Amino acid sequence: MRILLVEDEAPLRETLAARLRREGYAVDAAADGEEGLYLGREVPFDVAIIDLGLPKMSGMELITTLREEGARYPVLILTARTSWQDKVEGLKTGADDYLVKPFHVEELLARLNALVRRATGWSKPVLECGPMVLDTTAQTVTVNAKAIDLTSYEYKVLEYLMLHAGELVSKADLTEHIYQQDFDRDSNVLEVFIGRLRRKLDPDGEIKPIETVRGRGYRFAIPRTE
Amino acid sequence: MRLGSMSLTARVVLSAIVALVTFLGLTGYALERAFYDSAVREMQDRLRSHIHAYLSGSDVSVAGELILPEVSPDPRFDIPHSGLYAAVKGGTNRWRSSSAIGLKLPFDAELARNEERFIGPTDTPAGRVYAESMGIVWEVPNGQPLPLTFHIVEDDTHLRGQLQVFRRTLWIWLTIAAVLVVAVLLTALRWSLMPLRRVERDVARIERGSLELLADDYPTELRTLTHSINDFIDSERAQRIRNRHRMGDLAHSLKTPLAVIRNALENPNESAALEHVVSEQVRRMDDIVAYQLSRAGTAGHTTFSAPVSVSGVAEELVGSLEKVHAARNILCEFELSPDACFFGDRGDLMEILGNVLDNAFKWADRRVLLSTRSIPGRRRDGLEIQVEDDGAGIDDVEIEGILQRGVRGDERVEGHGIGLAIVDNLIHDYRGELQVINSTALGGACFQLRFPALN
Repeated sequence: MRILLVEDEAPLRETLAARLRREGYAVDAAADGEEGLYLGREVPFDVAIIDLGLPKMSGMELITTLREEGARYPVLILTARTSWQDKVEGLKTGADDYLVKPFHVEELLARLNALVRRATGWSKPVLECGPMVLDTTAQTVTVNAKAIDLTSYEYKVLEYLMLHAGELVSKADLTEHIYQQDFDRDSNVLEVFIGRLRRKLDPDGEIKPIETVRGRGYRFAIPRTE
Repeated sequence: MRLGSMSLTARVVLSAIVALVTFLGLTGYALERAFYDSAVREMQDRLRSHIHAYLSGSDVSVAGELILPEVSPDPRFDIPHSGLYAAVKGGTNRWRSSSAIGLKLPFDAELARNEERFIGPTDTPAGRVYAESMGIVWEVPNGQPLPLTFHIVEDDTHLRGQLQVFRRTLWIWLTIAAVLVVAVLLTALRWSLMPLRRVERDVARIERGSLELLADDYPTELRTLTHSINDFIDSERAQRIRNRHRMGDLAHSLKTPLAVIRNALENPNESAALEHVVSEQVRRMDDIVAYQLSRAGTAGHTTFSAPVSVSGVAEELVGSLEKVHAARNILCEFELSPDACFFGDRGDLMEILGNVLDNAFKWADRRVLLSTRSIPGRRRDGLEIQVEDDGAGIDDVEIEGILQRGVRGDERVEGHGIGLAIVDNLIHDYRGELQVINSTALGGACFQLRFPALN
């Protein structure tokens, strides 16, 4: 998942970004509204976290502009203001959820998780495709009720593919949404991950969950059960 | 200068001057007119009496010739161009006084018996004149009656002199009267405006702090104003005290958690618990700040406030809440009475409804029901709001814990969110009440908010 984080308070921005990266998100952080707008236009994000009180361009303006320019990804606003008037205004400009400062990072992670799921059309935190079940809250995967042990990156790749089950996901999409900017995109690390995932999920080659579309990318082939 | 910003003194003086000029001008004109009329009438009487004098001193000869008195009734008849002229005309008789010789005067008319005519002013070569003419018939013994017309003409020299003297006297006195009236008026004005100057002085003293409130002994017309100023001063003072208390409350209530954290830091033996202590106290401080912030932002009960439509606020809030709780597919139904209005601050209503609805969305299984009803009142309608959900409901013991009635921000029991305590406080500020009962319609909890009507 690729996240846009716009927060002017440096200590909060840095600890949040570090924590989100540890959780397996690819994070692009901006310190003010204008930088946020630049990133928001250039990069196909899965979700954005935007602080309302920003220098150069306010959070409300940033959200309004991004929405006007067609950005569809969910937006979560951070605000120090507790009044309902402020919350309602923020949500009216096009945000999808809000979190009042100070907050617990766990709460933020749960909200992000839910926003991404909802944006890809899943209403429950547990994604079910045939025999495969991925729990986005516990970050566990089972095949035919048998737990599969995955690394953090493997999990993220699978989660992304399952969230977009049935859709074609290009290699570029996958690298952009999973990895940090400095990642070497020419290497065949992705193919290695996919290969490992296939062996772990389907050692006998019976269910064939991940399909390779030659020259174009991958597709999660098992239809959604939900 | 714009008329609206003209000073009170200027307004009064200006209108007084307009009124005085109009009044004195009309008075002067009317008096002059009346004096002229009476002077002309007096002149007519005088001319008539000259005719009578001529008549009484005259005789008619047997031959029918008029014999005029030897001595004229007024010496001016004998002085040429003296301004007073006489003439008689009738039959073969044609006479004019020595004063009129050589002058063309209106002596031509012949009047019937007892006919009298007064004309003037008429412009003639002898100047502007007034003429009295009278027709008579002289009975001649053993002869034909003799018809005669007497004419007396006088120019306006005398009349003009009279008028000039009158006019001068009149305008001198009218001017004196005007000056006196203006002087009295200015004094009265100064006297009437004195209370206003006093208000100004007293307000300045209140600003400097040497006076508490405006006194109660102002003229009746000003009392509404001074009372309003006093109310305003009172409420501003109360607000300042409230703010100071809130600042104090906030600072003091933050001291306890700070003390706990410092204590934990100074006892390194229990360092394992440090993280837990700090995180717990941070949560507590966050609650305190949120609570005090909500108190600082509220407007509270006011005597005069515009009605706020509940449905508008409710729709905005539910729109937002449905977005936030989108994953749970909760359906919020409305049963809104169109005339249900909240008399107070829109932000306060949003805070109250927002917290109650958010709570309902959190606990609901599938459905939330918002209903409003207006309670009729004579001066102002009351309002009843019900928010119900189909969740598990709340028992009585929990209710006290949730609302934390009568408990100060820093003394609240831990473990509950602060939203409903804020709501309860706000409703009390509006002299309303909050009850939590079981919902008969949906089976979960029912929050009943009631703002009384004013009678």
